[in-house]
Amino acid sequence: MTRHHPDTLTLMEYSAGNLSEPHALCIRLHLDQCPHCRSRVDTLDSLGAVMMESQPQVGVSSDMFDSILSRIDSEPDMTEKYIDAQAKRLSPLQKLLGDNLDDLPWKRQLGDVSVLDISERFPGQNEQVVLQKLAAGGKAPAHTHRGDETTIVLQGAFADQKGVFNQWDFVVLNQEDEHKPVAVGCEDCITLSVLSAPVKLTGTFTRLLNPFIR
Amino acid sequence: MTTLDQKPARAEGRKDPWSQMLEKVGKNQDRQAYHALFEHFGPQIKYYAMANGLASHAEELVQEVFVSIWRRSCLYDWRKAAASTWIFTIARNQRIDMLRKMKRTSAEMPVETEDLWQIPGENDDEPVTSLHRLMSERRVRESLSHLPEEQITVIAKVYMESKSHQMVADELNIPLGTVKSRVRLALNKLKVILQDQNV
Ligand SMILES: [Zn+2]
Repeated sequence: MTRHHPDTLTLMEYSAGNLSEPHALCIRLHLDQCPHCRSRVDTLDSLGAVMMESQPQVGVSSDMFDSILSRIDSEPDMTEKYIDAQAKRLSPLQKLLGDNLDDLPWKRQLGDVSVLDISERFPGQNEQVVLQKLAAGGKAPAHTHRGDETTIVLQGAFADQKGVFNQWDFVVLNQEDEHKPVAVGCEDCITLSVLSAPVKLTGTFTRLLNPFIR
Repeated sequence: MTTLDQKPARAEGRKDPWSQMLEKVGKNQDRQAYHALFEHFGPQIKYYAMANGLASHAEELVQEVFVSIWRRSCLYDWRKAAASTWIFTIARNQRIDMLRKMKRTSAEMPVETEDLWQIPGENDDEPVTSLHRLMSERRVRESLSHLPEEQITVIAKVYMESKSHQMVADELNIPLGTVKSRVRLALNKLKVILQDQNV
């Protein structure tokens, strides 16, 4: 079980570039808001650099540098365009979900819980990616989890017997984590969850999803 | 940040030669410096591609990485990352990008590789950690030389061959727990695990 911050081994797999896209997204969203984990990833990125430097090296073709030069010469304004593009960059969440999380086509599920499956935004991945919304002050029934489920809080906060999870907190839950989350604060609590083990969903959402319900 | 905190930053923060070169590329489009970086990092990146199973695209990856270095060099800030760290993250991202593009079209990828894996110092308004960034590479290099071979082997497979901890365990025919504990021991020495338990 991992609570509030990703564990170091997960950060290492992130730094090495070995995580799936939805998992990398959860980490990236957390890193944007957590200097502590950001600095751990900086060290891990340095580890990658030092590993790369300590491996054998393989000679490159003698004409390669010239082809690189002719490529950069064919696009002279690239750097300025690049700076511009960087400045106008949308956050990954905006790209994925637009500006307003409330405008998404939520599916009311049970009492205070709504869900939205966004797995198809990550083509070629066999993980399930799900948004969940627990209405402000709402309660989810007690439940447990199957397999490892990685969750990041996108809005609001929820609490269970183990603690309070605020915006951008990171949590991994599994079958041992039975809990009964409650949305705390005056906002709806919205989370993004990645379910590693492929889960078969029947036509309608008959089974409820993590972290609130399962 | 207190004055005490700043002292080591100045002492440790001298630019290494590669970071100086990279800065010259960014500031003056210095082609000589660019060539020196290519000579030094090109063969490393080619090996990285081959170790990752991209042997038939290894030179293509080197090219993509260097074109990307040229384009982004104006954003490079030596206070935020050593050149080698910065270049490693670009190589990693180009590798991920190449694999993604082999599998699908860009229309199918609403989220770009860079939205998921950041290059240090870009889209980042957080100067506080720069001290840490500067020290980290030097410290990692020094600590790594004291690690036992079995720990380095495991880390190399994760970083250079993109293997998950489970795949490393299978390949070395050791339990997953052993792989994880080797990694943890190593990361502990590298001080990546600071207060993991109680933050
Ligand atoms: Zn964190």
